[in-house]
Amino acid sequence: MTGQVLTPQAPPSGAAARPASRRERRRQARLAERENQIPVELYGLRRGTVTLLTLLAFLFAIFTLIPIAWLAINSTKTQANIFETFGFWFARPFSFFHTFSLLFQNVDGYGTYIQWLGNTALYAVLGGVGATALSAFAGYGLARFRFRGSRVAFYVIIAGLLVPITALTIPLYLTYAKAHLINSIWGMVLPSMISPIGVYLMRTYADISVPRELIDAARIDGAGELRIFFRVALPLMVPGVLTVLLISVVAVWNNYFLPLLIFNVNTRYPLTVGLGLWSDRAVNSGNAELYPLLVMGGLVTIVPLIALFLILQRYWRGGMLLGSIAN
Amino acid sequence: MTSRTAWTRRRDARGIWFVAPFLLGFFLFMVVPIGYAIYTSLYTYRIIGGTVFTGAANYTQALASGEFWSGVVRVIIFAAIQIPVMLAIAFFFATIFDLGVAKFGRAFRTIFFIPFAVPAVVGAVMWSFLLEPQFGPFVRLAGALGLGSVNYFSSSLLLPSIIVIVIWEWTGYNMMILYTALKSVPRDVVEAAILDDTPLWKIIVRIKLPMVRQAVVMLVFLNTIGALQLFTEPQILSYFEQGAVSVNYTPSYYIYQTAIAADETNLAAAMAVLLAVVIVVISVASLIFRRRRGELA
Amino acid sequence: MSAIKLEDLTKVYATGVTAVDKLSLDVADGEFVVLVGPSGCGKTTALRMVAGLEPITSGTVSLASRVVNAISPRQRDVAMVFQNYALYPHLSVAENIGFALANKGVPRPERDRRVREAASVLGLSDLLGRKPRQLSGGQRQRVAMGRAIVREPAVFLMDEPLSSLDAKLRVQMRTEVLRVHKAIGAATMYVTHDQVEAMTMGDRIAVLNGGQLQQYGRPRDLYDRPANLFVAQFIGSPEMNVYEAAVDASGGLVLGSQRLPLGPLEAGLLPYAGRPVIVGVRPEDLALGPAGPQLPGPVAAATAGTLTADIRVVESLGSELHAIFSIDAAVAGTRELAAAGGETDAVQLGLAYNGVARLDGRATVRPGERVAFRVDTGRLHFFDPATGASIAREPAVASTDNSVAVH
Repeated sequence: MTGQVLTPQAPPSGAAARPASRRERRRQARLAERENQIPVELYGLRRGTVTLLTLLAFLFAIFTLIPIAWLAINSTKTQANIFETFGFWFARPFSFFHTFSLLFQNVDGYGTYIQWLGNTALYAVLGGVGATALSAFAGYGLARFRFRGSRVAFYVIIAGLLVPITALTIPLYLTYAKAHLINSIWGMVLPSMISPIGVYLMRTYADISVPRELIDAARIDGAGELRIFFRVALPLMVPGVLTVLLISVVAVWNNYFLPLLIFNVNTRYPLTVGLGLWSDRAVNSGNAELYPLLVMGGLVTIVPLIALFLILQRYWRGGMLLGSIAN
Repeated sequence: MTSRTAWTRRRDARGIWFVAPFLLGFFLFMVVPIGYAIYTSLYTYRIIGGTVFTGAANYTQALASGEFWSGVVRVIIFAAIQIPVMLAIAFFFATIFDLGVAKFGRAFRTIFFIPFAVPAVVGAVMWSFLLEPQFGPFVRLAGALGLGSVNYFSSSLLLPSIIVIVIWEWTGYNMMILYTALKSVPRDVVEAAILDDTPLWKIIVRIKLPMVRQAVVMLVFLNTIGALQLFTEPQILSYFEQGAVSVNYTPSYYIYQTAIAADETNLAAAMAVLLAVVIVVISVASLIFRRRRGELA
Repeated sequence: MSAIKLEDLTKVYATGVTAVDKLSLDVADGEFVVLVGPSGCGKTTALRMVAGLEPITSGTVSLASRVVNAISPRQRDVAMVFQNYALYPHLSVAENIGFALANKGVPRPERDRRVREAASVLGLSDLLGRKPRQLSGGQRQRVAMGRAIVREPAVFLMDEPLSSLDAKLRVQMRTEVLRVHKAIGAATMYVTHDQVEAMTMGDRIAVLNGGQLQQYGRPRDLYDRPANLFVAQFIGSPEMNVYEAAVDASGGLVLGSQRLPLGPLEAGLLPYAGRPVIVGVRPEDLALGPAGPQLPGPVAAATAGTLTADIRVVESLGSELHAIFSIDAAVAGTRELAAAGGETDAVQLGLAYNGVARLDGRATVRPGERVAFRVDTGRLHFFDPATGASIAREPAVASTDNSVAVH
């Protein structure tokens, strides 16, 4: 007769005592994740259903990747080849590097890609970081303080969610025109910092992850409110902050309508507007170089973001973001 | 509720400082522009006489104009087709990945989500190249399939083409939200259903779907707001096929053209306000609708 | 023929963890068997393997003498009550209960009739139109039970159905569950971590720890004749007091600085003469002073021992008194007890204690007193220091069930 009694608590039998390398840990996590799912056999599916469904997913994946593949392949072609050769395979001459170098030049006065890239990065970082900061402050304030008008403020912010972006941007443009803020960088960055969805998400996350007792304990210990925010609350809100940061940066990076209206010199354009301009000029002016440039520009625009997504998708708390949107 | 002492209230009042920066920006960049737009909409610029107060004249002009309404009708049709199709696809894939009844779920989910990282402009440009009437690969494909020469930018196919583009852009995002919502369905409810010998279709439709109703409604809401403001895709397409996209193709496009190309800022302001009102009304109505059904906190 | 039979049932997860290790037991028709043990001991995993929700690594599950390993849970004719009830939140109580019947295509009138019957057994007749979110915890639990009984299955499985309820409600629902069980009469396997639930509800109890079966028998057997140290300490509240001790050459028990007579050593103890041993005494087997029932006869004299202890803390529960004391013996016992760290903290607080006695509520003891407890050493439990297995003191009682622990 035995029992695990007097022996020191043995590790669960069979568990590996090897040091968990990162690869090992990830494998364990994946196995654990699969364990947590209901075994597929329990659903009572006919044979071949899994294969069929996998095939459908594969087809949609092809659909998703076609434009990107096209972009990648045709960035290596000259303008003539883009239109005359088979869209999904390469052709001589291989002009990738030549076209790529053009990104650094101001083509026909229509603007320099690199400059647009810099602009976009600037707007996205400033706007994204700013939006995250403002949202974190506001979200925390709404979640953990009950001041007069906090409910009203929250409803107002929700109202901000309702106001359609397009309908808001024209008035913004008119205001700028009046206030001589056309072509101002701050005219682009500052409105981007106002993100009602960010406030909503931060408030939800603060509500979930910052216990009131912790704040009270810090207050009793004599800490000031700002200190409490930075030392106690913010560290607990990090996954939410990262999520809001990501979506804010992406939102500014992809923003088209606002910069289209408020910038009329192409030195200030972000990538979206610049590429839109090139589309127009490529088709409607005679410049043949613009086609491959447009293709190349599109490719270079999306590659960093896609790479970022692929890297971050492991860490990204998309679940939290999307889950609270669903609420 | 615990009683609030004066100290508690004072302490709580400090919370407003956290919200103040946001509220200030909100005021400056949302409230003020709308106010200014309303103000502007009440005036008209005349060549003789400058800008004069005309009251509701711009509004009546916009509302009476068939062009404005035809754009509205178009985006409504667009939304009515695009949103259900996209949500159906998104839900289909979200479900099969959640249940694990397709292989490589993780890889597929990542791939489907990639278009979210693509700006709408680039997406529209890519698809414009693909659908380009004279040289685009898809035209050749249609020819190879025996469909004859297809002009994806013709007046009958333009809107469907835009629908395809928008579906391409947004299905992954919607799918991720639905997937997350489905994942949060408690496992034991599904196990109980299995023990009750529930067939799979019933598990999906009668058990899981109702339990993610909140997410679905939210997505319909978000997608509708977006669809009504359709702008980028038609505009880019208009570069590729001038004449395919009329100046009033969508309300947002019409406003843009009125403000920039025609330089009629007052009229544009009026239309912008109108559009905002329409959308807000729809949003509020749907919020009330959801609250009535007890779905909001 | 047993309703449920587990033979060497084993579950090893892909991550390498063994959750259930060669579990063998059987449940007779109409019997109420409780699987009990601390968190993580494998009891829920075992239950889920019986249901078919958890793939089996090795070993067999048989229902009504038929091996069901390969049979889907849909066809096993088992019903399960989940810990968090797992009710369908958007369906009414009536729809929840009738869901399985609807799946089988049972026609509406008969379905309604059976739902109403089940509801009345459980006192839910007034609630049939409500949704789960409008119900209290106890009501939801009953709906979960109703969903199970309406199917008239051969086997009921219950996974800690009462653990989400508050203490008072739990006591009430215990009776409810048993009443329903008697009314329905199907074999039931019930999982809990609460040994009180196990002792009061089970016809037989299986104690698990670390995936391994410790003992399987009737409540009385587990209490009087625990198979090992784990079972001895798991069953009974307050816990049995266990100490490191030794049997001296002349047949007495050496416990710290004290010596208790053991009478003639039984066969089981003989090998331990002159060697260390672990001794356990239940708090209720310690009595105060000369007052109290006298133990009859010379046997009594031979086994009448005295344990002198210093009282540290006295907890009065009204009906009884818990006298927490210390003696100069070392505590033995499972890692869990030691790992709880209570002993070390108490030492640091200057309140060293290592035993509890359960006395009559009107007893007069005060902290700081030195007290002589009377012990009938015939009621002491002995355990092997190396394996923790109990040392038999009497010939095993002939019983028809398998109250023997797995090796």
